[in-house]
Amino acid sequence: MKKIMLSFLLLLTLTGYTQMTAEDVKTFTLKNGMKFLIVEDFSIPNANMYLFYKVGSRNEHQGITGLSHFFEHMMFNGAKKYGPKLFDQTMEFNGGANNAYTTENVTVYTNWFPASATEVIFDLESDRISSLNIDSTMVESERGVVLSERSTGLENSPWRNLVQAVQATAFQEHPYHWPVIGYEDDMKNWTQQDLEKYFKTYYAPNNCVVVVSGALKFEKVKQLAEQYLEPIPAQVAPPKVHIKEPIQTGERRITVKKEVATPYMAIAYHTPEAKHEDYYALNILNSILTSGQSSRLYTALVDQQQLATEVYSSFGESFDPGLFFLYLVSNKEVAHTDLEKAIFIELDKIKNTGITEKELQKIKNQKLMEFYDQIETINGKSNNIGTYEVFFGDYKKMFEAPDNYNNVTIADIQRVAKKYFAKSNRTVGVLKTNVED
Amino acid sequence: MKQIKQTIVIVCMLMAYNMTISAQNYKLPEYTSFKLPNGLTVYMMERHDVPVISFSAILPAGAIYDGNKTGLAGLTATALKHGTKSFTKSKLDEELDFLGAYINTSAAKEYASLSSKFAAKDKDKVLSIIKEIVLDPVFDTTEFEKEKSRLLVRLEQQKESPRSVIRSYFNKLLFGNHVYGNVTQGINATVNKLTVADLKNFYNSNYTPNNAAISIVGDFSIKEMRGVITTLFSNWKKGDNATESLASKSIVNPIENKVLLVNKEDAKETTFFIGALGVSRNNPDFISIDVVNTLFGGRFTSMLNDELRVNTGLTYGAGSRFSTLKNGGSFYISTFTATKTTEAAIDKALEVLNNLHANGLDEKSLTSAKNYVKGQFPPDYETTGQLARLLTQMYWYNFDESFINNFEKNVDDLDLIKANKIIADYFPKDKLQFVLIGKAADIKEIAEKYGTVRQVEIKEDPKSGF
Repeated sequence: MKKIMLSFLLLLTLTGYTQMTAEDVKTFTLKNGMKFLIVEDFSIPNANMYLFYKVGSRNEHQGITGLSHFFEHMMFNGAKKYGPKLFDQTMEFNGGANNAYTTENVTVYTNWFPASATEVIFDLESDRISSLNIDSTMVESERGVVLSERSTGLENSPWRNLVQAVQATAFQEHPYHWPVIGYEDDMKNWTQQDLEKYFKTYYAPNNCVVVVSGALKFEKVKQLAEQYLEPIPAQVAPPKVHIKEPIQTGERRITVKKEVATPYMAIAYHTPEAKHEDYYALNILNSILTSGQSSRLYTALVDQQQLATEVYSSFGESFDPGLFFLYLVSNKEVAHTDLEKAIFIELDKIKNTGITEKELQKIKNQKLMEFYDQIETINGKSNNIGTYEVFFGDYKKMFEAPDNYNNVTIADIQRVAKKYFAKSNRTVGVLKTNVED
Repeated sequence: MKQIKQTIVIVCMLMAYNMTISAQNYKLPEYTSFKLPNGLTVYMMERHDVPVISFSAILPAGAIYDGNKTGLAGLTATALKHGTKSFTKSKLDEELDFLGAYINTSAAKEYASLSSKFAAKDKDKVLSIIKEIVLDPVFDTTEFEKEKSRLLVRLEQQKESPRSVIRSYFNKLLFGNHVYGNVTQGINATVNKLTVADLKNFYNSNYTPNNAAISIVGDFSIKEMRGVITTLFSNWKKGDNATESLASKSIVNPIENKVLLVNKEDAKETTFFIGALGVSRNNPDFISIDVVNTLFGGRFTSMLNDELRVNTGLTYGAGSRFSTLKNGGSFYISTFTATKTTEAAIDKALEVLNNLHANGLDEKSLTSAKNYVKGQFPPDYETTGQLARLLTQMYWYNFDESFINNFEKNVDDLDLIKANKIIADYFPKDKLQFVLIGKAADIKEIAEKYGTVRQVEIKEDPKSGF
């Protein structure tokens, strides 16, 4: 997501393209504190509604790990007016579809529907936000569903296993320590009471940002919001997450056993939260390393030295300081220790001699294209605007940020590489068949 | 309590039932097409919302032409980007990455395709690169060897994920020696033996303009683009021999239930497909089948997902699909469950299928499915990339804009009598083909309940000859 936003900003400054400006996003806040962001777009006769709740696994504690994600499931399992199954049945009957996702930071509900069905969607959302009914039979069958979701993730991808282990090693105190899906034993033991308390604490209108894009007039959306959602009372603000991860003072290593063709490797560096001043430079650095086959790490490790068959990296936005991840798959007959050495040599090159102006310009061009992709669809628009509002505190910052991006220089890239890619700041994870080696 | 609530909702749904999904009426934007003297069909559509252009090409160079060199079509498509007359591979990557543009080449079962997206201002540069990739690839030996070695590792890795390989086993089981059983992604034994010469031969016989099409959609002027395309692609030499229609050979219908049990020693789940032969893309009932399958296994509230996920918690998701090709297709139910609930999940899936035949559909659920497919239709054709792909698909499967423009009408025309006939005509009742990937020691006895079992190891390549 952050990449999308970056491109948006670059777009505005680099090309002066005035297709979408801050004025195209119209906004209002209901008396109960629920904030709405609206984009009118009549290119197709459809619309969407994205609801961002500021609750994720960082709001959990041991004993209830995974509850945010489980709650995301329970939000579809019945409220006062629309009982079990009827949220989905009614939405689909009216031509709509939905999904939802949970991260360490947020829980996001997404509805996609023909614009003519908008009122039904408001009615459905209003019902479950105001009067969710946590049915104990549904809790039990849904528990089976999330246990299956956890198991199939582990069954079909070694990455899930490895990333969980690395994250748990890099974070020893902060709630980013446990996986979003939760610990298996916690999953089997969540109680009705846990769920009820969670709903009351976090599912309050004042803890939610709603984005609506599509073939709808602003006035209509506002009227429906006032009718269906304003009567829901605000709640006291949820407790703050007070734990700060202590500074890491030495390299950490973790090995995981799994039957695989060649070893998988994940390396994580602690990096700051989305609102930090280094966010933009780190974002560009992420693309420099792995975006495209001409990127630094693909060229060196996959193409030229043939030590790896795949390489990726990620740097996401988060409320609290997070992780910059490198992911690699070793080639056949390659010792993963040799691959690891080669990775650090490439990172050292950036730390010691920086990148070129051309590389920096390349990433700016790529960000622009990513931005175009996003504004091509109403879903891209809602996602983009909502994420900016939630993670950067104000969707308007999207329009102030061009300066932040244009100010990123090749010297900044070198500076953040030196600052964060330190040995003492990293956790190295290896997943392989033979862990006795 | 639960029943009372349901009554309330039924009332609400009946009210909604009278509401028509009227805001749709999505029409395909205007486009033009023409044919070059070498036989290449060209589609163009202007879209000026965003300053980008999408390009799509479709060529008769899919895995059905692999012969006994499984993986050849796929590797040839990938290798188109290993350098051209004017660009080495690294120069090509650099140029495209610098522009933020991409060109992807790949092979599917029946065809090879190229898709590209770039900023409108870069069109001359990128179009000339596309032209070289399609017309003037050099098939560099060093790049080929590196690619092949990566592919061999990837093929091994795919076996770590049942979901990534189950389709190959199922197609082999269902289609047997027919070319639709060919494994698109390749298998280790044959990929290992492929050479650059194989790729060059494959390219020369299959990458010809006379049975191919390209489409360009986005921010340009058709008037100007016609000239550009004509100049770039007119020198593409027409193929000598008419492509043999390998796929038109008849597909043998299974005569009994069969179970292919794929042993994965460390599996904690069973991943399974249950299916039969399906229909081709040009089946006149294509849209009606889609509506009925939406109810059976094509959306969240579908019969399969409702039973296997919502009611019983046996799985995170269950669904069904008609996969359509030019001369046939497949139908399958797919899901996964913990090893110990394998039998419960398979029995439940079969029960849902039996109930579909026994009970048919009712008016309310049919209306729901019709509203759903109409409501979800326009976002499938929103971007330049989606539209460019649609145009080449129209060429390949020989349909036209009436598919889009009459979609709503065709959906509306489906009544209950016809819908129930669709079930009888197209959804299998017996002679089912099962693929189970899981821990054989724990599920072999269960597998034997459903038909003749053949057991293979996941480390082996999929092969026919049950």
